[in-house]
Amino acid sequence: MSRFKGLHLEPLWWGLFSAGGVCFAVFLPAVLLVFAVLAPLGVIHLNMNALATAAGSIWGLLFVGAVICLPAFHAAHRIRHGLHDLKLGGGLWSVVLCYGAAALISASALWGWLALTSWF
Amino acid sequence: MAYKAPMKRSWWLQHAAFRRYMLREATVLPLVFALCCLLAGLWSLQTSAQFHAWQQFMAQPWVVAFNLLALVGALYHALTFFQLFPRVMPIRLGEKQVPAALMVVAQWLGVVAVLLAMLWLATSGVLGAWQ
Repeated sequence: MSRFKGLHLEPLWWGLFSAGGVCFAVFLPAVLLVFAVLAPLGVIHLNMNALATAAGSIWGLLFVGAVICLPAFHAAHRIRHGLHDLKLGGGLWSVVLCYGAAALISASALWGWLALTSWF
Repeated sequence: MAYKAPMKRSWWLQHAAFRRYMLREATVLPLVFALCCLLAGLWSLQTSAQFHAWQQFMAQPWVVAFNLLALVGALYHALTFFQLFPRVMPIRLGEKQVPAALMVVAQWLGVVAVLLAMLWLATSGVLGAWQ
């Protein structure tokens, strides 16, 4: 059901899925350890001003793409096919729901990055 | 009419390999939670009050537990993904095939390098420091 008036979208979903899979494996362990485990446990003290400056740079955009957007599309693809494995959903609505959620998360992340840049 | 083999929704419970497959697929569920946490963190960087609130949210035991699960999920995904890579994309250097084990080790070295770089950024004073 990935056809849209004869347009095959599966290569796009698969490309985002595999790029997101690499990012999930290579970048997420480090990011989650630092920002979601060690910092909340009080082992690391984060400097908010330095983080905001770094996040609003071009490196911040790369970070957002590799750590939020691509893994979101990876997750969307797996959830879509996981639903099919569980004989749930299928058809257009799971496509719209899964990739739509990933697109929303990505758009929000890009907007959040833009809000931190100096030219906004 | 052709015979269509019946397949129950619980088909994946019948074999250990199927269960491992479904477990691997399920590693993205805590990942989605963690991505939303990181997204909230990005948005919270606009004011110090919001950033403080985000830090308090992240320090709650159930949030740390879910994020730890996401970390374990990421490592399990990496474990399975790295074994897959040499089979999907075998690399040849001249006449010789690069051994699969070497490619797996190289990928783990990449993970460790990113981990050390991130830890250095977060603890050397660039983005933060040891508490």
